[in-house]
Amino acid sequence: MADPTSISCENLNYSYPGAPGPALSGVSFEAPPGEYVGVVGPNGSGKSTLLRLLNGLLVADSGMARIGGRDPKSEPFEVRRRVGMLFQNPENGLVAPFVEDDVAFGMENLGVPREEMQVRAREAIRAVGLSGYERREPHTLSGGEKQRVALAGLLALEPEILLLDEPTSMLDAAGRRDVMGRIGTLRGDRTILHVTHHLGELLDADRILVLNGGKLVADVSPERLVLDADLLAKNRLVLPPLSRLATGLGLAAARPRTPEELAREIQEIIRKRAAAR
Amino acid sequence: MRLELRDIRHVYSPRTPFEVEALRRVSLAVEPGEVLGILGGTGSGKSTLVQHMNLLLEPTSGDVLVDGANAATLKKSELRRRVGLVFQFPEAALFAPTVAEDVAFAPRRLGLDEGEIEDRVRQSLSLVGAEHLKTRSPFALSGGEQRRVAIAGVLAMGPEVLVLDEPTSALDPEARGDLLRLIRTLRQTGTSIVLVSHDTNEVVEVADRICVLDKGEIRAIGLPSEVFYMIPEFAPATVQTVSALSDIGYDAGSPVRFEETLRALKRLVEG
Repeated sequence: MADPTSISCENLNYSYPGAPGPALSGVSFEAPPGEYVGVVGPNGSGKSTLLRLLNGLLVADSGMARIGGRDPKSEPFEVRRRVGMLFQNPENGLVAPFVEDDVAFGMENLGVPREEMQVRAREAIRAVGLSGYERREPHTLSGGEKQRVALAGLLALEPEILLLDEPTSMLDAAGRRDVMGRIGTLRGDRTILHVTHHLGELLDADRILVLNGGKLVADVSPERLVLDADLLAKNRLVLPPLSRLATGLGLAAARPRTPEELAREIQEIIRKRAAAR
Repeated sequence: MRLELRDIRHVYSPRTPFEVEALRRVSLAVEPGEVLGILGGTGSGKSTLVQHMNLLLEPTSGDVLVDGANAATLKKSELRRRVGLVFQFPEAALFAPTVAEDVAFAPRRLGLDEGEIEDRVRQSLSLVGAEHLKTRSPFALSGGEQRRVAIAGVLAMGPEVLVLDEPTSALDPEARGDLLRLIRTLRQTGTSIVLVSHDTNEVVEVADRICVLDKGEIRAIGLPSEVFYMIPEFAPATVQTVSALSDIGYDAGSPVRFEETLRALKRLVEG
């Protein structure tokens, strides 16, 4: 049976060698399996450091991190096998001449048998919506497609946890929609920790962790965060324009996903006001 | 200065199997003192286009004109002083032990005297709000600070046109806000600005005119209110919301910028 907590941190502390202050101090939280957790905060707030402590790229100075009950410090390989991490730049991760080889690369390193490897690669490519791209050369793909190839490479390793480190920050609007759409379909089956500067990507997250100056300053639902002007301002968080229009108009939900949705909400108030007259 | 691109075509790796036509007959002008926003997806030709503005790339055919004179006849060093280009991730080029020395590098190469260099360093650092970082190592700064220092290095050349290619990418919202404020300040000093971005919501807040590139061609160029209500797929969330309202029978005019749109929507709601 899977561990009841997928990710668990207690009082995590980390300082980069030679840095004046800690990058992360006293961070504690737990995430059950299948939860989709957003992580936001200004540059230098400790977001990326947190992800790197969870997959064992960095080792905490003190405190405890557990991935499916395992300690990344004492069982780094076990932990890395369970955790897939997607980085900002889609170019950096791609290594092989063809998409399918690229997706298989991680499995090859783990010594997965050839036949199983092919099945898992095809399945992962399908999961990111790139069926038919198996023999394409990665450099001919758009940024969004490259990032989806990188994601397929992670999925083929069947991770229990996905760590996403600003996966859309180098992409254009179409690429961003493309990657976010795919990430949405992966929810539920695995725990996802998603670091981003774009709050708009997290409007449907189960919860959002707000980091600032290396400390966890809030652990809130997206519904609450978008309406908490004080919390947003203090942590230099900016809502997406649709939400800012909604809050500016005093709409209760303030989480319109599309312009059409916001337009219907506005129509709703206009009708209510007309009826009240 | 008025910078004009006339019929610019650019082919990468011509006469090879890798030949790509990145720009096909693009014509546009950067008017004196304006902020021209250039939008388009990945591969639309945005970066190729702006690298023609100081002839870092030479067109396969077509001309670049500076106040009507062919830029190819100007000295490259003069052209690059007058048209400053800031690439994506300019902080990658920071190299000196202190911020002040880094910013002084380009003006020193222009052969200016030390007093003038010092003035320019001070002025450009103060424009980007980084004067207090003068004695620091550029490598010990935050991402947003590094970006501003790198831009100051180009401003110290005293460019008449400043081209910014994706200046806010990978910055946090606050640092993005700082950069947009900087663009407004520079515009007030009379510098023309070309702002390349894929973030429409950001560009609309500062641009006087918009040019939309698509597959190496200009899809539209003009005032934001004209361009965005014409090509909804490139429009910011504000315009898309107003258009969606108009589709269901509500007229909120044709606002573009955020504050303007919020006012228009409030008027609509309040009747």
